[in-house]
Amino acid sequence: MTSAPPVRLLLGPQRPTRNIAESIEAAGLANGSFATISAGWQEAENDIDDLREIVTRPLLDLRLYARAEEVFQADENLAAMYRARQNRLKAQQRLYRLRLRHLAMAARQTIRADGDAVMVAAEKRHAIAQLRALDRHHLQRTGSIHRPFIEQFNVDSSPLLAQHHREIGEIIDECGAVLITGGNIVVLLNRMLLFGVDRLLADRHIVAWSAGAMVLTERIVLFHDRGPQGRRDSEVLGAGCGLIPGCIFFPDAEHRLREGERSRIELMFRRFSPDTCVTLDSGAALQFAGSEVATVNEVGRLNRDGGIGKLRAA
Amino acid sequence: MNRTLRKLFRKGAPNPVHLNAFIEKTDFPLVDGSDVTFVYRGHADAVFLRCWIAGLDTAQPFQSLSGTDLWATTIELPKGSRIEYKFEVIANGERKLILDPLNDVVAHDPFGANSVCQGYGYERPVWTLPIDEARKGSIETVRVDSSAFKEAREVQVYVPARFRKNRRYALLIVHDGADYLNFAALQTVLDNLIHALEIPQLIVALTQSPDRLREYAGDQRHAKFLAEELLPFLSQKYPLIDEPRARCIMGASFGGVASLHAAWSFPGLFGNLLLQSGSFAFSDIGRHQRGPVFDPVVRFMNDFREQPGSPAERIYISCGIYESLIYENRSLVPQLQAQQIDIRFEEARDAHNWENWRDRLRNGLSWLYPGPLWLVYE
Repeated sequence: MTSAPPVRLLLGPQRPTRNIAESIEAAGLANGSFATISAGWQEAENDIDDLREIVTRPLLDLRLYARAEEVFQADENLAAMYRARQNRLKAQQRLYRLRLRHLAMAARQTIRADGDAVMVAAEKRHAIAQLRALDRHHLQRTGSIHRPFIEQFNVDSSPLLAQHHREIGEIIDECGAVLITGGNIVVLLNRMLLFGVDRLLADRHIVAWSAGAMVLTERIVLFHDRGPQGRRDSEVLGAGCGLIPGCIFFPDAEHRLREGERSRIELMFRRFSPDTCVTLDSGAALQFAGSEVATVNEVGRLNRDGGIGKLRAA
Repeated sequence: MNRTLRKLFRKGAPNPVHLNAFIEKTDFPLVDGSDVTFVYRGHADAVFLRCWIAGLDTAQPFQSLSGTDLWATTIELPKGSRIEYKFEVIANGERKLILDPLNDVVAHDPFGANSVCQGYGYERPVWTLPIDEARKGSIETVRVDSSAFKEAREVQVYVPARFRKNRRYALLIVHDGADYLNFAALQTVLDNLIHALEIPQLIVALTQSPDRLREYAGDQRHAKFLAEELLPFLSQKYPLIDEPRARCIMGASFGGVASLHAAWSFPGLFGNLLLQSGSFAFSDIGRHQRGPVFDPVVRFMNDFREQPGSPAERIYISCGIYESLIYENRSLVPQLQAQQIDIRFEEARDAHNWENWRDRLRNGLSWLYPGPLWLVYE
């Protein structure tokens, strides 16, 4: 257990700029092993040799992806229920996307609309409010899909999950901090929740990048404006672990986000307010001490005027 | 005359040494903005450019450049265009259709090869070229007993790298699958798009008909083979997602007709269609002008246009604007939209050929089957 407020060190992608070692050093994290969560890499979860070289600390692999596969093999009922939940979540996301497409388009067009300023402002507010209501609804719906599964299969009621939870906790106890890599955000989140890892992290120092940072927030937002199909409206995926409240992280924004499109940025700012929309590009480092931003290096934030400014420490 | 040639002829006809040096150091055809000049060197009585582009003369005559054995002709080719062509050379009373001897860029198809002119602004998409880091899927051959055809049919199946039996996969059924592999780099494209997370890992069934002009032309036996024989066989053998939205049929030209026909014949079974330069000939009145091989196609398309129903939930359609079928493909779009089908229609400055279909694969596949890129934050 740590006595001071736990350090949360959040980074951008570790390519091309690898700033993890220097950021850990600057954060003053004590020497010691790091418990590593790389479940977002899926089958490549244990390819952490490269990481060992960069971090220069001993890494203990928590093997969340592999553990989950073992659990699915051992408990067919759990595996079936898990798959059914994922299918429901995907169906929910598709329904949300259907509605989002039209509401987001309407909001963007309203933001750009000409005419009587007072009249346009009222419509703009309402269009954005509708979007926010849809996001809230979706967050509530995804929560209600998660709930029955969690009630049936959790580390308190399932001996199998409890055993893994205990083992994971013991490894984390041995370590000075927990390291969470990027990767597939859905896989990462689900595997962490399955083994109740979120509960084990509350008072731990955490170093995380990209998807690893996103998973720690209260609300995870998916985004990519430069996929093969071009721009796409950002989507709320659902709730994260909730360890970093008040922030939504946008890793690799310089490549994934069309930063010059001010009406889109403004819409995101207003849609997700009061949360701060934080960009984490490669080379960025953001350190929280408890809930306070302690240090900031090359971290951006989306602004109300549609621009991207620098995030500053409190 | 083209700028480069004008320069060459500035001081009169170049001597053979000068001409050889010019030919050696110059890329042909000569692309100068939207003007493209084709050059032939050799003895001839007449030379023609043959490029089978709807809207242009089938045979474009070359002019002899005085004092040399050079021939040249210039056409206007809008930005981003890509065309395939041959030279027709008439000499000593003989007529020969040849590849452009001065141009190494060649495209192959089941009938042979054509020279390729890459107009101003066209670049071969990088995702159609092999990438070292992209893990390669494998191709295996299966035999499917068919009561529809009263014989067994061989089907090649692309299995993605990192395939795992305990995962579920979406299915893509490809008409003229071997041709897509050979002439449209389909395996490379699949490997690359999967590697880039732009499409999910897929099981891809590559069918090849021994009599495509008949079986792909709205033939009920073929539809039955896909829906009632091939699909159950694949579902048994591979871990497929058992939902229409995870099934797609794709094809080009007559393969496009076969795809639409199969989905139309078994509504609700296939959620997605990828149709490239479909030979969707129809007649509003009177007899069509496309020859007897199109008779069954026209019968099907006329029936389809009468009662389109809902063959799929999402349909990607592409067509080259330099092919005569652009009219039929454009006509299909509003009709499908009226059925509340989600349509993505793409026109390309290209013609009825495999590289046109290759270049559209990323847009079509990633739209129908979006990959996990959206979910991955490295």
